[in-house]
Amino acid sequence: MSRIVITGIGVISALGEFAETNHTALVKAECGLSSLQLFKTIYSETLKFGEIKIENEQLKNRLGIKNKGITRTSLLALHALNEAVNDSKLKEVQIKSYDTALIVANTVGGMCLTDELFQDANSKDNGSEYVSSYDCGSTTLFLQNQLGVKGVCNTINTACSSSANALMFAARLINNGYANRAIVGGVDSLAKFTINGFNSLGILAPQNCKPFDKNRNGLNLGEGSGFIVMEKESDVIDKKIYAVLSGYFNSNDAFHPSALSDNGDGPFLAMKGALKTANLSPFQIGYVNTHGTGTENNDEVEGKALKRIFETVPPFASTKSKIGHCLGGAAAIESVFSIIALNNQEIYPSLNFITPIESTGLIPLLEYKNHSFDHIMTNSFGFGGNCSSLIFSKK
Amino acid sequence: MYIHKSTCISPQQTYSDVDLEKLNISVNNMLNVVEPKYDDIPLNVLRRMGKAVRMGVGAALPLIKDSKNIDGIIIGTANGGMEDCIKFLNQIVQFEEGRLTPTNFVQSTPNAIAAQIGITNQNKCYNITHVHRGLAFENALIDAQMLLRENLEFNLLVGGVDEISSYNYNIENLGGWFKDEEIDNTKLYKNETKGTIAGEGVTMFVVNNCKENSIANISAIKTLHTNNTEEVAEQLKLFIEKNISPDKNIDLFLTGENGDNRLQNYYNVCENIFDNNTSIARFKHYCGEYPTASAFSVWLASKILNNQIIPQHFIKCKSNSNKLERILIYNNYKGQQHSFMLIEK
Repeated sequence: MSRIVITGIGVISALGEFAETNHTALVKAECGLSSLQLFKTIYSETLKFGEIKIENEQLKNRLGIKNKGITRTSLLALHALNEAVNDSKLKEVQIKSYDTALIVANTVGGMCLTDELFQDANSKDNGSEYVSSYDCGSTTLFLQNQLGVKGVCNTINTACSSSANALMFAARLINNGYANRAIVGGVDSLAKFTINGFNSLGILAPQNCKPFDKNRNGLNLGEGSGFIVMEKESDVIDKKIYAVLSGYFNSNDAFHPSALSDNGDGPFLAMKGALKTANLSPFQIGYVNTHGTGTENNDEVEGKALKRIFETVPPFASTKSKIGHCLGGAAAIESVFSIIALNNQEIYPSLNFITPIESTGLIPLLEYKNHSFDHIMTNSFGFGGNCSSLIFSKK
Repeated sequence: MYIHKSTCISPQQTYSDVDLEKLNISVNNMLNVVEPKYDDIPLNVLRRMGKAVRMGVGAALPLIKDSKNIDGIIIGTANGGMEDCIKFLNQIVQFEEGRLTPTNFVQSTPNAIAAQIGITNQNKCYNITHVHRGLAFENALIDAQMLLRENLEFNLLVGGVDEISSYNYNIENLGGWFKDEEIDNTKLYKNETKGTIAGEGVTMFVVNNCKENSIANISAIKTLHTNNTEEVAEQLKLFIEKNISPDKNIDLFLTGENGDNRLQNYYNVCENIFDNNTSIARFKHYCGEYPTASAFSVWLASKILNNQIIPQHFIKCKSNSNKLERILIYNNYKGQQHSFMLIEK
């Protein structure tokens, strides 16, 4: 079986609008969290978010989108997707062929338009321009239509781990002969729905989040999108190969709808399974991009699970301290970051850490470092116990 | 991929004491589910569940209880708990983003159904939710098909779930997808106007690679995105060529025709591919239109293959033969998403 390689990457986040600007910000350990300037909620001033400071009209102009009813979620996705597809130099005929798949994860869909949705859902006449754009599938269907993709199209929602499962599904489509290449990613935009949802659970941090710190007090929500192009190694001639997607696994914690179990069985099984798929031993992992939300529950459980897997825990960090938690976009964005780290043989620090959690004593990476390594693991754990881990390896 | 067990909660008598001849009549252009008692769910848990989660868990539990092991939970749902979602939205607006209660939020995420099934059964295996609108269930089936190739011994739970809430009815209605005039489901196929009637339901299957004692074989699946009728017909011909040897007959062509005159041509061009050795039947007057109605059609096909009879109200056109070994399903969602599924004995 031919290995699955990454030939294109694209990302837009609070750190930057393209892969290269995100890379520069990661190297400089910049933080993209801020008060809200564009998105209106009563929490705009009191909480910190990973907001992308580009208005929808500007995104539409840049992307050449003139049709009505296109949501911010769809625009951010198209922005990252275009970058990835151009980067991989996919030909028009390949994009439109029946053996190219398009797999997209998101959790809010068009619900970023909370007020419009409220109107339409409670109305018997005069629908808004967005009546067909509220579900998660609407973003994928918009992208499918823009590109004219003919192969398998799918939308996945496993809450915060959605886009890890999108990457995994795309890789399996190729391995099982349902596609020869895939355009795959994840996206979410800020929404009153998720802001108030996470706030009602009491897990939004009042200031910038502090992943793995003893005094961490919640997460920051972010927005953004990451996309990659996957191809079979045997099909790739004369183009840059960023990395190999060597391992993936999905497991359920089966404990609680919105919290992880004490022992972190779901995270443990996801990491263990990904190592097995990649045929690697734990010591071969050179860096872990953690889920690291900054919540009381996640970081302690993830730390425990890391200690169960690794005799010596490798350097690890959370990029959520820089871009917030981008939900359905998180794993795809962080996969792009992981691929960039592996390609440049460097690792990026976690911000705002002071004191280790007592039960684990784990300290995340605190400074930018050149680092010689072959394999990177990235974790994503979601509500509903949906846990997935991916491993990218050097070509 | 062989079906070994199934449950179906639909607007009709399909859960226990199945009666395919009986036809409940729609009310206000809606076919609402007939919900069972859910004996397997503790009352205090049941009270907190929204309809989609309740139906999903309720249909899954008897199958899991009856199976030795379940190695994966794969759910297709376009919207999940839409009612909880809008209830939470209403809270946001009503209380101007103040202190809100999280129950509706947690239940509104589409993955809550698969997650709740996992939690209820302490099942730590593969767990995923496909939400690709009118092809959410088909993608769940493709996922199951792949998982059974990767793990030959696996036993999987795969299903489709979608509910009618007054909110998504409003939104779809504003989008022009339901009929303006009130009709009842016995007159659905008159095709004079745009729109259809709303439906809902849950269908769950236990599938594996073991042919012995199976109910039916889901032998091929193909999905397609296009608004070109000719392309649909072309792809259907290719699907038949690829998956059915010329000496085998397609005994029944089962379609998702739904009375929307804008979509009729898709069904016409596909029906034209068949000769009088193939019967043609329809199912949306029975379950209504919803994004995962195709899951219901797979259940119906498996019943027809086992009963060796197609109740009259499903039949559009009867073939010369009485044999029923092979059923091809074509479904179309909003003229944009299409699927072909081959179900065999």
